[in-house]
Amino acid sequence: METWSLLLDGFATALQPIYLLYALLGVLLGTAVGVLPGIGPAMTVALLLPITYALEPTAAFIVFAGIYYGGMYGGSTTSILLNTPGESASIVTALEGNKMARAGRGAAALATAAIGSFVAGTIATVLLTLLAPTVARLAVSLGPSDYFALMVIAFLTVGALLGDSAWRGMVSLAVGLFIGLIGVDTLTGQSRFTLGIPQLGDGIDVVLVAVGLFALGEALYVGSRLRHGELPIIPITRGWRTWMRRSDWARSWKPWLRGAAIGFPIGSIPAGGADVATFLSYASERSLAKPEYRKQFGKGAIEGVAGPEAANNAAAAGVLVPLLTLGIPTSATAAIILSAFQTYGIAPGPRLFETQSALVWALIASLFIGNALLLVLNLPLVGMWVKLLQIPRPYLYAGILVFAGLGAYAANFTTFDIGVLLVLGVLGFFMRRLGFPVAPLVVGAILGPMAEEQLRKAMQISQGDASYLVHSPFSWVAYGVMIVIIALSLWLKRRRARYEASLPAVDTVAIASLDEQIELHEPHPEVDRGRLSTTALPRVRPDDEGDDLDDSPPSR
Amino acid sequence: MSTAPAGAPSQGAPDRARAARIEAMAFVGFLVVLSIAVLIATTTIREPPGSTGTLGARVVPYVIGGLLLVSSLVVFIQQLRGHFGHAEEGEDVDLEHGTSWGVTGIVVLAFLSLIITIPSLGWPLAVVILFTGASLALGAKRWWVSALIGLALGIITQFLFGTLLGLSMPPTGTLTSWIGL
Repeated sequence: METWSLLLDGFATALQPIYLLYALLGVLLGTAVGVLPGIGPAMTVALLLPITYALEPTAAFIVFAGIYYGGMYGGSTTSILLNTPGESASIVTALEGNKMARAGRGAAALATAAIGSFVAGTIATVLLTLLAPTVARLAVSLGPSDYFALMVIAFLTVGALLGDSAWRGMVSLAVGLFIGLIGVDTLTGQSRFTLGIPQLGDGIDVVLVAVGLFALGEALYVGSRLRHGELPIIPITRGWRTWMRRSDWARSWKPWLRGAAIGFPIGSIPAGGADVATFLSYASERSLAKPEYRKQFGKGAIEGVAGPEAANNAAAAGVLVPLLTLGIPTSATAAIILSAFQTYGIAPGPRLFETQSALVWALIASLFIGNALLLVLNLPLVGMWVKLLQIPRPYLYAGILVFAGLGAYAANFTTFDIGVLLVLGVLGFFMRRLGFPVAPLVVGAILGPMAEEQLRKAMQISQGDASYLVHSPFSWVAYGVMIVIIALSLWLKRRRARYEASLPAVDTVAIASLDEQIELHEPHPEVDRGRLSTTALPRVRPDDEGDDLDDSPPSR
Repeated sequence: MSTAPAGAPSQGAPDRARAARIEAMAFVGFLVVLSIAVLIATTTIREPPGSTGTLGARVVPYVIGGLLLVSSLVVFIQQLRGHFGHAEEGEDVDLEHGTSWGVTGIVVLAFLSLIITIPSLGWPLAVVILFTGASLALGAKRWWVSALIGLALGIITQFLFGTLLGLSMPPTGTLTSWIGL
């Protein structure tokens, strides 16, 4: 098994103390910014791109791997504990997890999310380990026209599927592709759309695109309509050993495995990413749940947290398959990581596993390590992460601006880039205000120049015959699959939107009483259940330390 | 007391919705104009002679300009029929109240100040100005706390990225070169 020996070599690298430190740094940073509202993994990786100017590649990618997984963990904490609508990727977690928290079961929701993320992340990383070398071997024989087909798929699926409306996504994609065009054309040496400005000759640095849209644009947008007053944080109980009841384990482990099985394939084909995966997992858990648990959906069902969280993390690992083996990013974060590869002059793709074997396997090994570190760090430290939610917002967003400025300036050490960044930030600001998704733009700007290169290579081979683009069976299959993916995903999205629109508002007391009603059917050995659940239940139990039987629902 | 807060949003809401619609139309209109400009500018890209048979420097810009034109026109028509986009939601975003343009303007200015302050004052002091300006605009209460945090952030990033990671961040600028670091 060649793969295993290579993976072991990767572990040998990644377990060196200095790289372990980098992994720890990555997961800590990732979790911290994942927890912080308004900062997602895409923004974090974008803000930290400057470290690629100074660190060696292996260290930088180990940090990014940690951030990538850590951001996912942190995000679920926020959506469970903050009583506000979050971003759409984590809306399913918020749906059930937030309601569990409001019913005093926040600790269980956090635990099932964290353990589920670990389980699914590990399974998905194993799958990545097994699958990626095979895909890379197959991909070596792909020609430019096949690559062009893959990139068109990535463009259209990302443009059509990330966001509310397919046409708005296409607008965003087209703007991104245009930004990618700016600069001197590599093949003919002609400058395009530079307006005679010499600094634009090298094109707009992808770092600027990523930082401008994700950091500056987001900070401007949030700043323009900053929520005033305290955000209500739902308190959780201490003592993480007793977070999960036996019945919670029993109800969680199958959703974890199913979530991993759903998330990984959806992440690895460009099909709208984690959004679709979480929703599919949620819908399947809902229909597979036992009848007495099914009525708890929408009111804090633990399966509805366990499954989607697992699917989310598995999808995140799945995204790495096309990124590492084909060099094709299918999410905004993946696009930014791709641009980090580019700053090192490393081209992800089938040859990556041959030319940069040590780097790739160290990266994959650090994914395993990061995942384990996250589980160890996050369950006990959740109290510390929750404190991050209380950072005063003016300082938080001003700090983001500082790092955005750092990233822009450190790209080329010219203040011209600060101006470019501001233009892109204002663009991102208006796109957010007016309902245009930002991710397709970033993917377009980064992947666009590569797609043009492949297209022109293909046309050179064929002497200008356009039918060459569809001459290989691979490209037929690719275009066919693309049509199926888009049709299927649009249908799924419509279903999801209809489902979310139909959700009724449920009050806390009803959630809590339903939870107790269900839990009364089965014995659970933890005697201190009453103490665990009381902190956030002001109304169900008037005496706040009372035992849990005194006013249970009438059905008893 | 109770009628004023309840009445104010309902009066402000139609105005705001109208302003949002105008803004949306203007933005998409700008994109339509941009795409036409892209298509026109593409005709002026020079094609080196003798590159027949392969794809020149113009083809892809034409395709992308066309994609931008078609998609922004479709969105324009969708908006004429009343299908507007929804502003992005977020944990810290309050969609129920209006936009504070003043705050946004000051934040943009604070960021823009880097263009002058990095060369003239150096990175750490530039951070102080950016951080203090932005955080005060965003609602920080005490200016000296902001300035102190900004200074700490500036010195830490200077040390971390400039000294430790070896990026050439300027510690001082043309006006502060007398500090002698």
